[in-house]
Amino acid sequence: MSDALRTPFSGRAGAALKDAFLQEALKIATTKFIDLRKESFSGFPQGEALRDRARAIKEATLQHLDVHLERLADHVERLGGTVHWATTAEEARGIVLRLCRDRGVRTAVKSKSMATEEIDLNEALEHAGVTPIETDLGEYIIQLAHEKPSHIIAPAIHKTKGQVAELFSRELRGEFPADPEVLTAVARKALREKFLQADMGITGANFAVADTGTVVLVTNEGNGRMVTSLPRIHVALMGVEKVIPSMSDLVVFLAILARSATGQKLSSYTTLVRGPRRAGELEGPEEFHLVLLDNGRSRQIASTLREALYCLRCGACLNVCPVYRQIGGHAYGYTYPGPIGILLTAMLKGNASVRELAHASSLCGACKDVCPVRIDIPRMLVELRGHLDREKIAPWTERVVFKAFRRLLLSPTAFRLSATVGRWLQRPFVRQGRLRGLPLLFGRWTRTRDLPPVAARTFREQWKDLR
Amino acid sequence: MTGRAEFIERIRREVARTPGLFGASTAPRPAHPATAALTVRRELAERWPEALDRFRVEFERVAGVFHRVPDLDAVPAVIGGLARERGARSLVTWDPAALGFDAASALARDGLEVVAARAGEEDEAARLRHREQAARAQIGVTGADFVLAETGTLILLSGSGRPRSTSLLPDVHVAVFGRDRLLETLEQVGVMLEALHADPDRAMSGAMINFITGPSRTADIELTLTRGVHGPKEVHAVFVEAP
Amino acid sequence: MAAAAVRASLMITCLGDVLFPEVGVAMVRLLRRLGVEVDFPEGQTCCGMPLFNSGYHHDAAQVAARTVKLFERAEHVVVPSGSCAWMVRSEYPGLLKHDPVLRAAADSLARRTRELSQFIVEVLGVTTIESPFEGKVTYHDSCHLLRGLGESAAPRTLLRGVSGVELVELPGADECCGFGGSFSVRLPEVSASILDKKLANVESTGARCLVACDAGCLMQMGGGLTRRGSAVKAVHLAQVLSGEGPA
Repeated sequence: MSDALRTPFSGRAGAALKDAFLQEALKIATTKFIDLRKESFSGFPQGEALRDRARAIKEATLQHLDVHLERLADHVERLGGTVHWATTAEEARGIVLRLCRDRGVRTAVKSKSMATEEIDLNEALEHAGVTPIETDLGEYIIQLAHEKPSHIIAPAIHKTKGQVAELFSRELRGEFPADPEVLTAVARKALREKFLQADMGITGANFAVADTGTVVLVTNEGNGRMVTSLPRIHVALMGVEKVIPSMSDLVVFLAILARSATGQKLSSYTTLVRGPRRAGELEGPEEFHLVLLDNGRSRQIASTLREALYCLRCGACLNVCPVYRQIGGHAYGYTYPGPIGILLTAMLKGNASVRELAHASSLCGACKDVCPVRIDIPRMLVELRGHLDREKIAPWTERVVFKAFRRLLLSPTAFRLSATVGRWLQRPFVRQGRLRGLPLLFGRWTRTRDLPPVAARTFREQWKDLR
Repeated sequence: MTGRAEFIERIRREVARTPGLFGASTAPRPAHPATAALTVRRELAERWPEALDRFRVEFERVAGVFHRVPDLDAVPAVIGGLARERGARSLVTWDPAALGFDAASALARDGLEVVAARAGEEDEAARLRHREQAARAQIGVTGADFVLAETGTLILLSGSGRPRSTSLLPDVHVAVFGRDRLLETLEQVGVMLEALHADPDRAMSGAMINFITGPSRTADIELTLTRGVHGPKEVHAVFVEAP
Repeated sequence: MAAAAVRASLMITCLGDVLFPEVGVAMVRLLRRLGVEVDFPEGQTCCGMPLFNSGYHHDAAQVAARTVKLFERAEHVVVPSGSCAWMVRSEYPGLLKHDPVLRAAADSLARRTRELSQFIVEVLGVTTIESPFEGKVTYHDSCHLLRGLGESAAPRTLLRGVSGVELVELPGADECCGFGGSFSVRLPEVSASILDKKLANVESTGARCLVACDAGCLMQMGGGLTRRGSAVKAVHLAQVLSGEGPA
């Protein structure tokens, strides 16, 4: 049935709902992550207090963000690293490309970084003749498949093992069974060579400690360690909001980050990188570059979306979101999916970009419940919707309906009258005491659900008998 | 191209526009990190048996394999045993000075090739040689600078004579430690990190600190857990009883 | 119970007034049985939440201003809906913050307003209610009652207090039913998909009735249950407690 009100987002969402593979994968994966997180926090009584502290540290840091960034930069430079300042995605790409050109970089191995996805770095590198190689297994899979990640921490969650086996067999020219152990070993072997040969390692940063100039990577596979120790150049791309003041702050976040993301007490590897290799070291990059990325973040410091800057990119909100659980990450259409993704997209691309996405939420609040830094996502979604009204981004047809609704609510007479009118208009649609097959906007409801009819006597009409 | 001043100024301007969402403070820091670290050490000197028990539970929970030996002389036998079981031919180790024992001679008798990093040998030739050896070795032997009981984590500082790849490239990583390395909580790790960085150039000869919690792992394919994606498939911790 | 009668004003909610008056009637009979004097400020229409949630805050503020005035003399305000009670308690003060008089009135109203189960347990101190209602029921935690008002115990306590009722826990009771107000018609396929999951859980309990404390959720879940021809009936807590639910 065609729907004149169908939008690109609702189209993508609809397609996702019809994808049986995806539905099954989402169900299993999100349920697993939810259970793991729940179990981890249930045996961890300090968890709630740590979440409060983590939130406070993020807020306190934002209140002096400029100072902390300057201290971070000073320390990185003192250590022999170079700091670059990228206001836009384009600038960030330019910085990395220039480095590649000046240093004769032909291949770059990458550890998982949402920031590099955000700025579309891989495409830019390829156009410049540099081969970027994703080494996080999930990212490696989707790179081979020419797809985008569908989840912040489990990028290939939408792929079955059969699909991965097929993919590897085709791209790596072999015959591999649909066995995760075998496929992992295949990836290990294929990528080990790349680590050893690559000219540059590119990472993001989960945190950067201002006091010491340390960049922190939280990973499980070991590729984060590889790319920061084997190639001769290490480039870390980091959103400015990732800076934290001290090592004492760092351990607060470490205590809750992995628990929130995967239910682990700590991920397999937490790697603290303090500049390029030191004089006494046999291994490590000769050069360390920290690229600080703004790309719309600073504009949010004094906005209603400020809290979104606390985000640790753990993915917990995705896993519990009733919408994400039904449609997966690709349907959102942007780098960051799920509840926080809507806010980040507004932050990075402007309010108009979330004209539809801002409504991709039932405001149930499950996200806020699990966020390690207690970001009040539902409140910010409502604020965002407020912006869509005030900036007249919401469609005028919708605004007309809501303004009319308001008038109805301000006048009891009009309200009473509308019930009477409704009672009369609904008559052709009442079947066995329910409304079915309604036209227009109401049809969107009755396509899949019954609606109760306007009561023969409203409560107000019955009140006189009750009093 | 944005320069530092312009970039920071934009942020400073935005920060000045708002008092923020609520009064908030960052984590309290030790006023005298060195003293605080000593206090932690003293506490653990008393509590090391409990810490060790806790470590073992947590380490095994993340698929680590725990060994216990009476003294350093007994360590090579453990390593030799692991090598034999796995048909390993080649090992890399930290500088014996950093390890506290020399595995080479003991294990050479077993027909194993043992290559130890040497502090002070860091020219380009040594670098290339080491990379080739580390890539070939099946077992890597290191010490551990801190051993965190709460999470079953080994914390290794890189540096002279303690290459990063020893605990990264081989399939099997063996870390040898004594009671003086044990810590109980992440919070204590924070104190030790503060102390290290109070005078970082003196305290650390390398630029990397690795927290290692079990073997390399992933669940990226259908959420099925597999080990040894890029890093080691096995992690062993050998506790040496003798103080 | 208190020596002097407790007086409560009903905030019946827009959906309650127009689509589910039987819930309001059940609520009145129940409260009177518990010794409460009930009244109904007649000018009421809606708490304004649909406007607020869709971002029409200026409009929602006007509705809020009207509502706080309507209920300014109420001793207690009782709402058969977690989301409306949440709207009044949590959002009204912020919406009216620019007018000190209205803001004070909103703060006062917030203090006096409770969702029905909270009112019964906290104000009346009642946990056991006799009701002819019988059978196996399961309970759905509406998002705003659960997370907005932090309430999951009171409804369950009251359900367990009815001797003929057998309460079975709903798997995923705390998961959204997919209503979300206008969300249900903005993204109807996603809303229906979320609903399917909820109803599969409901049917797995073997309960004959699904109980909730929110008209929106009941509209969504009830509408889904009848559409799929399910034997399970969606009822409001008030109907169980007053014994007026469907047989």
